[in-house]
Order: sequence, then structure tokens, then C-alpha cells
Amino acid sequence: MFASESGTGLASSGQYAARAEAAVKIYGSGDTAVHALRGVDVGFERGKFTAIMGPSGSGKSTLMHCMAGLDRLSGGETYIGDTAVSSLNDKQLTILRREGVGFIFQAYNLVPTLTARENITLPMDLGKGTADDAWVDEVIEAVGLADRATHRPNELSGGQQQRVAVARALASRPQIVFGDEPTGNLDSKTSAEILEFMGQAVEQLNQTIVMVTHDPRSASYADRVLFLADGKIVHELSNPTADLVYDTIRSLGDDD
Amino acid sequence: MFKLVRRSIVANLGRLVLTLLSVVLGVSAVSGSFVLADSLRSVFDQISEDALAGTDAQVRPIPSEIADAFSSAAAPSFDESLTTELAALPEVARAEGQVAVFERIYTLDADGEIVRPPGPPVFANSFSGAEGVGGFRVVEGTAPGDQQVALDQAQATQGGFEIGDTIDVSMATGDIEQFELSGIIDFGDGGTGGAFFILMDLPTIQRATGTEGTINFVDLGAADDVSPEELVAAVSPSLPEGLEAVPQEVLIEESQENFGQIIDFIGYVLLGFALVILFVSIFIIYNTFAILVGQRTRMLGLLRSIGASASQIRGMVLIESVLIGLIASITGLFGGLGIAWLLKAAFNSFGNAFPDGPLQLQPRTIAIVFAVGLGVTVISALIPAFRAAKVAPLEAVRGGGLQQRSLTFRVLGGSLVLAVGLLLLFLGLSGQIESTANIFVALGFGAALIFIGVTMLSALFAGVVASVIGRPVQALKGTTGRLARDNASRNPQRTSATATALMIGLALITGVAVLASSIVDNFNDVLEDAFGADLIVGPTGQPLPFSATLVDELAALDEVDVISAYQFLQLGVDGEGVDARAWDSDTGTTIFNMGLAEGSLDLGSDGIAVLDETAAEMGLSVGDSLTVEFSDGELVELAIKGLYDNSAAVDGVSYLVDRELANQHVEGDAVGAIGVTLTGQPATDSPEFAAAEEAIEAAAASQPQVDVLSNAELREELSASINQLQALILLLLGLCVIIAAVGIVNTLSLSVLERTREIGLLRAVGTTRSQLRTTIRWEAVIVSLFGSILGVVMGVALGWAVVTAIPDEFLSYVSIPWAQIAIYLVAGGIVGVLAAIFPGYRAANLNVLDAIAYE
Repeated sequence: MFASESGTGLASSGQYAARAEAAVKIYGSGDTAVHALRGVDVGFERGKFTAIMGPSGSGKSTLMHCMAGLDRLSGGETYIGDTAVSSLNDKQLTILRREGVGFIFQAYNLVPTLTARENITLPMDLGKGTADDAWVDEVIEAVGLADRATHRPNELSGGQQQRVAVARALASRPQIVFGDEPTGNLDSKTSAEILEFMGQAVEQLNQTIVMVTHDPRSASYADRVLFLADGKIVHELSNPTADLVYDTIRSLGDDD
Repeated sequence: MFKLVRRSIVANLGRLVLTLLSVVLGVSAVSGSFVLADSLRSVFDQISEDALAGTDAQVRPIPSEIADAFSSAAAPSFDESLTTELAALPEVARAEGQVAVFERIYTLDADGEIVRPPGPPVFANSFSGAEGVGGFRVVEGTAPGDQQVALDQAQATQGGFEIGDTIDVSMATGDIEQFELSGIIDFGDGGTGGAFFILMDLPTIQRATGTEGTINFVDLGAADDVSPEELVAAVSPSLPEGLEAVPQEVLIEESQENFGQIIDFIGYVLLGFALVILFVSIFIIYNTFAILVGQRTRMLGLLRSIGASASQIRGMVLIESVLIGLIASITGLFGGLGIAWLLKAAFNSFGNAFPDGPLQLQPRTIAIVFAVGLGVTVISALIPAFRAAKVAPLEAVRGGGLQQRSLTFRVLGGSLVLAVGLLLLFLGLSGQIESTANIFVALGFGAALIFIGVTMLSALFAGVVASVIGRPVQALKGTTGRLARDNASRNPQRTSATATALMIGLALITGVAVLASSIVDNFNDVLEDAFGADLIVGPTGQPLPFSATLVDELAALDEVDVISAYQFLQLGVDGEGVDARAWDSDTGTTIFNMGLAEGSLDLGSDGIAVLDETAAEMGLSVGDSLTVEFSDGELVELAIKGLYDNSAAVDGVSYLVDRELANQHVEGDAVGAIGVTLTGQPATDSPEFAAAEEAIEAAAASQPQVDVLSNAELREELSASINQLQALILLLLGLCVIIAAVGIVNTLSLSVLERTREIGLLRAVGTTRSQLRTTIRWEAVIVSLFGSILGVVMGVALGWAVVTAIPDEFLSYVSIPWAQIAIYLVAGGIVGVLAAIFPGYRAANLNVLDAIAYE
């Protein structure tokens, strides 16, 4: 895989939107220490939609949080583009999150006092720069919220809220978008809409998306699926189908 | 159930600490006011006992019904020959004629300035050297002899005097003479309470007061085996008419009672402030409990769904409040000691020195503190407790906040409370209520109800107003400003409850400011016209009499054209003691503009002039006769010769007589103020005026307590003293603002907790820590400004109502100090900035991952 690559070459940094090298994360210490990540090497290619799967406690959320600069590694390094995340202070991390990374969370994703459009432009508004209105309109149009842009979150359905969240993640054209169970709270029809839209964004806008999920059907929308268990990457699928993912999970489960 | 309460308190410790703080401050204020009053009382009780420890009985003139113990009018005296007669009685072991004067004799330092303590008075007493008599004993040197004085250590230190030094002493006769310092004296066991004492032997003090041959009282020591009561019985038959013998016990009681009246007054004033502070903290406790209950809706629903009864839930919240009340009471008790100590320091820094003495914590104070601390907390928690009990089991699944109470209830309830409050306020100000205490109760309850009503109603417009206040913030700060504005207006009920404390604080402060500014401006206008005099000669600050010899000295100056003086006087009218003035009525009208309403103000020795207002009240008119009692007890029938309508020049008194008449009944030729016009009527900025002023100052140098002031300077002095009083009130009300700030910190902290996930999200999408702090800071500023604006508007309205209710002779128009009010508004905003520091820090340092973690 990508494990042996040092990450110093220009080619590699151009190829990957984000990488992790020998990523180790330990919670607590001594007898109670929990090894959430035990040396993970992974790269996320530009323009690809990757799903990360694994049972509870496998370290999939930890990996994503560390890659996104929401949490700090105990060892190793992660990069967003060429930027080594561990070298950044809080302010720089914040700017990175604002400009280089997009997030889609499971729920409670929006600021309740802001309208849909304001939520979408929030990361850009927080910076001193101005939002690219044409692009924002395009994104809003793409997620089908043109007639809902001035509504507040409590006036939107769960699916609409999550579309706003996706639009927000894409609107600043980040290097990479991370999704943490982005469809976990939605019914299957709405989930499908959202995931299809995420797939389109990858294809048409050359966006890079990494999504944590435990739903094989969701994972099947991705170009590639990584399987984590016990803090390590244990398997990988390309162009998966739901059945293939499901079978893989079962076979991995049998290994245990 | 109790376990749940304990866990809940432990879990919410951080939030409760702040709530505690507001109760503690309120309880401390109550405790502090009692401690301070008790401490003062203990000091003065001790002083009374010390002063009379060596006295078995006194013979003195029977006190007039109209006399005031702390009057500036001279004490009555009688012939000293009585002393020898009394000494001859077998029951009498010691009889000493005594002279005691208050603020008439002073020592002067090397610069010729009066040596005096900042607040307490200066007494001069006769002292024979008999240990313990008057509470005095010589600790160094000897008792004073001819042309000698003995002083307390504090006075000697302040004046830089040492035993054997020659000291200039300003005497009641208006002369300055040199005395030798014979010794240092000490008073009792508990100190002098800060007062200075000048001791002389009897003949010397008689000469220094110009009362040769007379004394104020005879101090008696009983022979062996004779009790004070037996002594009184033995002495009484030989007393001439008008004198009485009083045993030690009664003397001590009287003395303590006299001090007690003043101390009670101070105690009531402090208690009033304490009640205001408690009232403010009620809102904060209420708000905290309401928010806590709201945040725990899901948990309460769960408890209900697994079988907890409504009354158990209610009990849980109430027990929590009882525990908080207990902790707050204990802490507040000690906090009160701290506040008493701080107030003492504050009073001292304003120049009103408080006497030294240990702080007194009495059982009654402890009982009151616990009753108040527990009562306030539990009452504040009642509504949230009942609301908590209404949480439906289904809320466990549904989550979400409590149902907002219906608007109709708010509008109706708020309007009703407001209406009753306004009615009470109106009643209190209308003059329909007789007793002063009831007026204060009506005003207090009225204001409290108005505040509650406005708070209830303010939730209706808090959202809109906060949004309007936030508009410039958003324009200035962009997205962070926008978030702040939305946060401040998203929960109007919370915004209004949070802002209430600040509203009350600023309403009271503004009200006082409006009142003070109206007093200053009105009095300035009135005083500008009150004096026809070019210069006023008299002591500033306290109304203290000085020797009338200065009148003659000034009259002899070429620079002086017309001169008139007045003296302080107490008269009995209809059996009640009233303040009056005696003046030189032949020249008085030139110097003092009394505003002749009817008749003539040339009073002669059988006339009296009355303020027209008072005359109307009593149904008197020119030509009627009025019988008044002088402080010598004599009833005199006088003819009302004139009515006047401007009493500003004579401190608002209602009766005027001629000095000639007064001096037939009052001993000691002392005056309170002299007014002069200058020869040639020079302009105030002319060199002639300055030269004349200098000449008059030189002539008045023999009486160092006297200042020479132009009309403008006099008005400045008055403004300064009112401003000083206002500053003191501001200091006490400042506690309210501190509590208000605590309330804002509390609510904001709880809001931050409530919005943990939202804050995490903001951080995750790129909000920097400082942006987050900015957001919370401006949210606090918007809430504070909402409270401040509301408070200032109410304060102006309250101040206006009070000033309008005060009769026009005192305050005829309202003056609103806009500049001060602007400062208060800015200060209100700053309170918000300060209050946001801690919650902002908390929010900015939330762990992003924890914040966005799922359930």
C-alpha cells in the first residue's frame, strides 16, 4: 500500500490530500492505557471518496479526528496536503480547519441561530475573506436548498439540515472533507441522497472525502473502503458494493 | 432521594459556587450591617460606662423637653456656689463643679490649623485630676493646672505636642491663648471612640468659655456605704428649682440611649442597602435554579418515568436549595465580618472616622443571617422546584427544554405586579402616609414590585431590544458579532432574568444620581439668591457655633458695610423641639434674602417670623401670637410679625427670632454664621474685593474653625458635600452591581455548558479561541447593556418621581445628570466585558472533541 512512502517527495504530497505516518494514539497511561491507534500508515488520494469501517473501538473515529487536527497523536505524524498537523499551534490548527478541512458530523451540525446560507458560509465568514457568492450559490443549488437558504435549522428536516452541513463542508473548497457517520441519523432514502451528492462532489468537483461509517450500504458509495480493527488497518477494498463490504466485515469478524 | 441531591450538587458544583456567591454577598451584607451597628453600639455603650464609672450621681439643670442631646446650642449652666453646699452634706464624699463643651475649644498645630479628628467631635472638659471622674486618668505628666491643658495621646501625636510644650488654644471666647501641655490623659478602657479631649481645670475652662462662676453640672462621689440612690435622695432636698440629681445608672442609660439613636439610624441605613442586595440576589438564585432545572429536564423525566413522584422531584430541588442556603448562611456570616471591616475602612477613607473596637457578632445576628440566607434561597427556588415537578415522564425520551410559560400569564401577572408597585410608590410619595417608617416601607415594596413587574414584562421585549442593541455589534464585529447578537436574543426570558440584577443596581444608582443632581442644581439656584451678602463667614462642613466677638471685630473694619449674624437655637413649639435661628433682624434682610411674604422681618425682642409654608400648616398669620419654649424652659408669648418664603439662607428652619431675644434665654454668645456686604460694592473679581476678603480673613484668624467664603465658594462646598454623600451611596450600591456581574457570569457559564456542542461545532469549522471569546464577550455586553438601559430608564423615572414628590420649596425642578448616566451605561457594558472573561475562557478551552462527542 502506501505504507513505505516517506512523505517527503513532491509527488507524494501532490498525490494525497491527507496522510498519516505511523500514527499512534494512546489514551490514559499504565495499566489503564488504551491503544486506539497502533501505528497507522495511510494516504487519502485527491479526488477520491474513502470510507473507513471497523467495529466500535477499532480506532476509526480517532484516526479521523487526529487527521483532521481535532485531536493530537501520541506518536507519528499526519499531514493535510504538505502541512504536518502536529507542528501547528491551536491558532494555526483552527485556520487549517477553517480553510483546509471540511467536516460533516452525525447530528447537531448547525448553529441554530443562523440561517442555512449563513451556516454554509460560516467558515469563510469567520475568516476575514469574503465568500465566493457564485460558488456558494452553486453549492446551495447542488444540494437542492435554493428555496430554503434563509430558513433556520429548526425549520428544516433532518435530511435538509444534513445537506446544509455537506454544503458547508464543501463551500470553502477544502483540501479534504471528513465525515463522521454523516448519515447515521437519517432514514435510508435521505441517506442515499446525501451519499450520492457526496459522490458527485468527488467526481465533478474533484473533492476529496473521507467518511467514517459502520453501515455497509453507506460504505458502498465510496471509491475505496479501509477496514480498521484494534488500531490498525486490516483490510482494504476498491470500488466496493454493499454485499462485498458486508462479506468483508463478516470475514474480518471471524478472524477475531 | 437525598443521594440524588448530593450527587447533583457535586456534579453541578461549579455552577452552584457562583450561585452561592450571590447569596453569600447578600447574606454578608445583612450580617455586616448588624455586626457594624452592634460593634458601634458596644463601643459607645462602653464609652458611656467609662465616662460615668467614677460618678455616683450628678446634679444638673432639668433637661428641657425640647433639647437635643447633640444640639449645637450651648448647654444650660448654673451658679457654681452650689458645689460647696453639696460638698458639706455627710453623704457626699466628693463634689466637683464641671464644665463640658462640645466643639468650642481647639488646640492649634504649628501652622495655626485646628487639630481635630476627621469625623468624631472635639470635647473640652474640666478635670480636677481626680482619677476616673469623667472617665479620665492621667497616664503621663500631671493633671492640668492654671493655664495648662491635658490632651489624649492621639491629639498630642497629631498636633506634634509634647509635655511641657506651649500650645496655642482657640477658646470659645474667640481668643487664642497659649497653654502648657501638662500631661497625657487616657479615657476609660475602650478608648475615646476617636473623639479628642481637651482637659483644663475648672477656673481655666470657665475663662476659656467665658462662663466664669457658672458650671454645667456637679459630679458627686458618695461617702462610704452610701448608694447612688441614697446619695440622690440626700442631695435632692437642697437643690434650687430647675436642678435635679440623677444617679449613675440613669446617667449611663441616657448616654447610651443618645448614642443608640444615631447608631440605630446607621444600622437601618445599612440594613436598607443589605435588603436591596438580597433582593437582587433573589433574581440570580431564581435564574440559576430555573436554568439548572431546564437543563436537567431529561434527567427529571427519566426519574419520573422510573417512578419518582412529582413531590419527590420538587423536594429534590428544594433540598438542594436548603443546602445551598445553609452553606451560604455560614459563609455569609463570616463575610459579614469582612464587610463590616471593609465598610469601616471605606467610611474612614471618606473622612468619617469610625471608632475603633472589636467587631461584635451577636447570637441575634447569627439567627437572622440563617433565617435570611435559608429563606431567600428557598423562596427563590420555589418556582423552579414547582416547574421541575411538572416535567412529564415523556421528556426523558423527547428531551428539549421546559415549556415556556404562557405569554398571557406574563403580561397579566407582570402588569398587575407593576400596577400594584406603582400604586404603592405613588402612595409613599403622595404624603398621605403619616409615619416615616411606613413611607419607607411603601416606597421599598413599591420599588421592589415595580422591579419584579418590569422583569416579568421585559421578557416580552428582551429579544427585540437585545437584537437592536446587537445591530452595531454585528456591523462592527461581523460573524462573531452576529453570533453574539443572536445568542443574546435567542432566549428572551433568560436575557431579561440575567439583566434584572444589573437593571435594579443601575436603576437605584441612577435614581440617586438624579436626586443628587436635582438637589445640587436646585440648591445652587436657591443659594445664589439666598444671600445678599458678599462674603459668608462661618465654619464649613458642620454647623458649629463660634464666638460672637467676631461680629464686633468685623463690624469695626472699614471694608465691611453691612453685617448680620445668626445663631443656632432650639425652640419648643406645641411641645415639640424644632430648629430655629436667631438673627440680627435690623440688618438681616440685607444679608439674608428671606423672601418677605407678609408683614415685617424687623422682629425686636417680642416678635417671631415664621416660614409661610409652616404658618399655613399651623393656621397662623401675621398678628397672631405664638407661645414658644426656650431651652432654659421659659415659655414666651411672641407676636408673629412676618412671614418669609425663602429659608435657604438659614438651612430651611421655620422660625426666626431676634438675637437680642435669644440671648436673654441662651447662654454663651455664639453665632453660627456671619454675612457681610463690602463697602463700595466691589465686583467679585476686583482687587478691592480680594483685598477686603483678605482683611476679613485676617480678622477671623483668631477663630481658626471659621472660613471666609464667597457665595460661589459656599455653593461649591455644598455641591462637594452632596457629591461625597452620593459617592458613599454609590459605593454601597456598587455591591449590587458586583452581584449583578456574578449573575451574568453564572448565566453565561450555564449557557456555555448548554451550548457545548454548538461551541464544539464552531471550533471544528474554524472559529479561533479568541473569536469564541469575542462572541461570548459581546453577548455579555449586549445583555448588560439591555439591563443597563432598562435600569437607567427606570432610575430616571424613579428619580423624577421622587424629586417631583418633594415639595417645591426644596426641589422645584428635576435635573438629570446625562453625562453621569452615559458613564453608567458604559460601566454597564464594562460589567458585561468583565463578566464574560470566565465563561469565555471556559468556552474557548472546551475540548473540541468532547464538545462534539455524541451522546
